Amino acid sequence: MKPLIQFKNIVKEFDGQIVLKGINLDIYENEFVTLLGPSGCGKTTLLRILGGFLDQTQGEVYFDGQEITNVPAYRREVNTVFQKYALFPHMDVFDNVAFGLKIKKISKDIIEQKVNRMLKLVNLEEYAHRDVKEMSGGQQQRVAIARALVNEPKVLLLDEPLGALDLKLRKEMQKELKRIQQEVGITFIFVTHDQEEALTMSDKIVVMKEGEIQQVGTPTDIYNEPVNEYVANFIGESNIIEGVMLKDYQVMFEDKKFECVDFGFKENEKVDVVIRPEDLDIVPKSKGKLKGIVKSVLFKGVHYEIVVETRPGTSITVTMDVKDDKPVVNESAKELMSANNFNLDIEDVKELTDAEIIARADAQAWSSETDELISIVKVSHDIQPHKGTYPVTFTTAAGTSCTVNMIVKDQNRVESKEYAEEIFAEDFFKKVDEIQDSVALETDLKIWANAQAWDLDEDIPVEITTVDYDFDPENITPGQYQVTFKTTGYEYKVHTTDYAEVDTMVGLSFNPEDIHIMSKETFS
Amino acid sequence: MKKFARMAYPYAIWAIVMIVLPMLMILFYAFSTQGNDVVQVRLTLDNFIYFLTEPVLLKVLATSFKIALITTVICVLIGYPAAYFMAKLGNKYQNLMMLLITLPTWINMLVRTYAWLGMLQSGGLFDTVLGYLGIGPKQMIGTEGAVIFVMVYNFLPFMILQIYSQLIKMDTSYLEAAADLGADRVQSFWRVTFPLSLPGVISGITLVFLPAASTFQISQLIGQGSVQLIGNVIENYFLTTGDWNKGSAISLIMAVIIIISMYLTKKADKESAGKRRAV
Repeated sequence: MKPLIQFKNIVKEFDGQIVLKGINLDIYENEFVTLLGPSGCGKTTLLRILGGFLDQTQGEVYFDGQEITNVPAYRREVNTVFQKYALFPHMDVFDNVAFGLKIKKISKDIIEQKVNRMLKLVNLEEYAHRDVKEMSGGQQQRVAIARALVNEPKVLLLDEPLGALDLKLRKEMQKELKRIQQEVGITFIFVTHDQEEALTMSDKIVVMKEGEIQQVGTPTDIYNEPVNEYVANFIGESNIIEGVMLKDYQVMFEDKKFECVDFGFKENEKVDVVIRPEDLDIVPKSKGKLKGIVKSVLFKGVHYEIVVETRPGTSITVTMDVKDDKPVVNESAKELMSANNFNLDIEDVKELTDAEIIARADAQAWSSETDELISIVKVSHDIQPHKGTYPVTFTTAAGTSCTVNMIVKDQNRVESKEYAEEIFAEDFFKKVDEIQDSVALETDLKIWANAQAWDLDEDIPVEITTVDYDFDPENITPGQYQVTFKTTGYEYKVHTTDYAEVDTMVGLSFNPEDIHIMSKETFS
Repeated sequence: MKKFARMAYPYAIWAIVMIVLPMLMILFYAFSTQGNDVVQVRLTLDNFIYFLTEPVLLKVLATSFKIALITTVICVLIGYPAAYFMAKLGNKYQNLMMLLITLPTWINMLVRTYAWLGMLQSGGLFDTVLGYLGIGPKQMIGTEGAVIFVMVYNFLPFMILQIYSQLIKMDTSYLEAAADLGADRVQSFWRVTFPLSLPGVISGITLVFLPAASTFQISQLIGQGSVQLIGNVIENYFLTTGDWNKGSAISLIMAVIIIISMYLTKKADKESAGKRRAV
């Protein structure tokens, strides 16, 4: 079959920024094609090039075998349903729909016939003489579709037409659009960022990212066999696990070997393993291919969404020493001052500066009258590069001073390594009121403890997702407290009708064909 | 809410003192005879009857409206294309154009009119240029043409800015939709751009027609007595003859005529919008 529309190596540049990086795409007659991608991926730009509202920087567009770059928008055999409909506000429904026909100077009775037939198709025959400004979003949408279709285009372009509608109306219009497309039997090119919309409506989905096509295929193809992690994530919820392809039909992840149906990868190639939540089953732990602890159970109407953790995240616990010191008061100078004890690594002693000491001790001086901060002019200490406790004194110009201890340790940092992930944090000192005044305590705790986690393989930071502590921040009293920082481990989302109790150990089972192997993204 | 309402009191008082009271005084003068004092008031319709039975005054009234009308039409014909191309320009040039158009209005209108007097009078700049071209010398001061010319000069910015602001806020997606539906540039102008810009044209007409119908400085300076407009008549009654009663009556008549003509314009606009819908 000959394609109706051919994009050949389309490049589009806006002010030196490349929005489309060489798009090649064939679209056939009677297809419902969806351009799917997040905002800024170039999908609307591609549509506008086809509509004739933008010129490509490079490349050709063929329509029915003809190169159409120099054909102006008003002579192209495509019609568009615009994102915000762009209905003419000075015309009623009938005149909006009749616009294209009037331009073509078609006789009045035929215009009336065609417009009325079209209004019937979109279920608006009662509304012919309504003011478009008084119509609901869904109705305006139908008018826009009728206005475009009445011209009998070979291709209808729809630019995120359902974006402004609420969820219920959107579902209705999705069905409606599909029905209309089947009824009129022309090509629809539909732009959206909503993967569900794309999956339910399309014959063919084109997944785009940053001006490039990632994958073209039927909804089932794209859902079941995404070519990379990006497509898999974008097209729907998925479990994506790192693995190694040992040989054809055999993959290893979570330190276990599994049979699969994929082949053609290099030996020991690092891959992403995709398993759809609905392909996983919860079984007794002895029968599972993987086992883990149930972290959460959510009822989703028909099924449960169960999160099973097969491998805990890396965690670390540090001690927070809470003091109840009051600020030092200098009555005559009307100044207040406060500072905390702090820990220090031996290796950091050499490079210690006054500014660093002030920051570490969180030393502050302020006026008792205006609350304004006053600078600390002098930091005196006698620190040695040996373990021990050293006093340090902060002084302002007015002579207010305050002394705290620097505790020099061999290695203050506590590290924890597991599964090629490292987490570290430091013991720290705080005051009661600092904890009570904190508005984002978990974030503050991370900062105070200098908590960080790293992926050792890829040398990238890993998010600390959980901060646990054993105190009540509102009513904290002086003393020592434990604070634990944790990363997320390996979690599997399971969609199943079986129920499982939280915190129980369960097994996960799946079939070889449920494993989808994707090569690691080579672009980005 | 009550607190906020109270904040409007000073403005209400201001409005009463500066707007409502003078209007009431005009009303009072128009319906009373000359030489009244506080104790004795004689009401009369004589002032109106005098105006309506005096052919000279009626002719002046007709001339005023004729000149105002011609001025307005010329302003639309020049102002619309100017506003249209301004709206098409890039942002940078739009601001420059805006500045150029509003710049003359920073200078007092009287001063600008005096400047034109100098340029248009015998031996002035225009006369000399026309002389070199072999068309002159020509008497320009004192003709209706010169009065209309200076009026157009003075009032054109109002027309341009009204139409421009209407055009600039028009969503470009309407034009894309028109092109998408097969309309070329000319067709989309007449079917989409122009109808959508009509509110700007209407308010432009209001802003030009009103002052053009009631001005007296321009006709006095450029008309040099041979072009008498109703504004000059009113001015004469108030300042020269001191007959405030007749002056007030004519002012009232003018106000009524203007209100009626504005009402008709608005109505015509609405009807044409309705008719466009009904076709």
